[in-house]
Amino acid sequence: MHIMGELALIFGICLVGEGVAALLPVAFPASVISMILLMILLLAGVVKDRQIQTVSHFLVANMAFFFLPSFVGMIEHAELLKSQALPLVLIAVLTTPVVYLVTAWTVRLLMLGSKRRKEGGHA
Amino acid sequence: MLEAVLTSPFFGLGLSAAAWCAGVWVQKKTGWVLCNPLVVAGVLIIAFLSVFHIPLSQYNEGAEIIKMMLGPVTAVLALNIYHQRETLKEFFWPVLAGCLAGSLASLGSVLLLCRLFRLEDALTASLLPKSVTTAIALGIAESQGGIQGIAAVAVILAGLVGAVFAPMFAKWFRVHDPVAEGLAIGACSHALGTTKAMEIGEIQGAMSSIAICVCGIFTSLLALFL
Repeated sequence: MHIMGELALIFGICLVGEGVAALLPVAFPASVISMILLMILLLAGVVKDRQIQTVSHFLVANMAFFFLPSFVGMIEHAELLKSQALPLVLIAVLTTPVVYLVTAWTVRLLMLGSKRRKEGGHA
Repeated sequence: MLEAVLTSPFFGLGLSAAAWCAGVWVQKKTGWVLCNPLVVAGVLIIAFLSVFHIPLSQYNEGAEIIKMMLGPVTAVLALNIYHQRETLKEFFWPVLAGCLAGSLASLGSVLLLCRLFRLEDALTASLLPKSVTTAIALGIAESQGGIQGIAAVAVILAGLVGAVFAPMFAKWFRVHDPVAEGLAIGACSHALGTTKAMEIGEIQGAMSSIAICVCGIFTSLLALFL
């Protein structure tokens, strides 16, 4: 597809996402609504992945670039960051293994359970 | 003349692109995870602005245009799920349960520690989405009344921890199953961890990139109840 067509499609989906977010009674990120919307359109076969491939490849390959403005924006809160640096770092670092542990063990126990049930069925 | 140059959106756009190239170059040269292009480029821009006493608002003239693209960047993450749809079908329940548990654990542990340290609400709201991918985390932080810059820093920290320690976590927590390992890496350290997961194995990489999307959705939904 022509690159402008790809852009029109992606921007259109984001526009609908913004519209839906504005209609919702709660504060839900519009970008996540756009993602869910695109996911549904792709899985339903309404949008084909090749219809967005050039633009999406560019966006994904350079994804972190688009976070730069938000990252630089932290200097506006330099004082707050400086005074709370230790708890901020501790919280971000310490909670990461907790999430790993809980996720991995939930999956492990679930798979163990379904395996046992299957084996039980055969016996 | 200088005034016109500095207030032009091209200043922020050009500076960002140039700093980004420098960040990518440094990462390639050193090969260190800590020399993440975003961190290097961000520090370069902050240094440039403060050395030349340029206010953030002038940088933002151009930066706003880049920031606007966060919507499309998040939207195309849907391709993660689409490309892994066969794997997702096969492990549907483990993915759903693992990501839900991971998102709950993330929000719960962050909330608990924030209360313990008596952090103010804006900081707590910025830290809450720290396990999900930056694009989604920025959206959640904003809708929760958090500070995007702090959210970005927390997300990167979590990502770096996951990317560096993922192999150790697997050993410490006795995780041998590739599905469980991949989902856990994606749930705790999003895209940065996924790069590591892809090095560990194909299933781990696939599961990790699925977890980015699913945890992103769960975390934005769960955040509504906070």
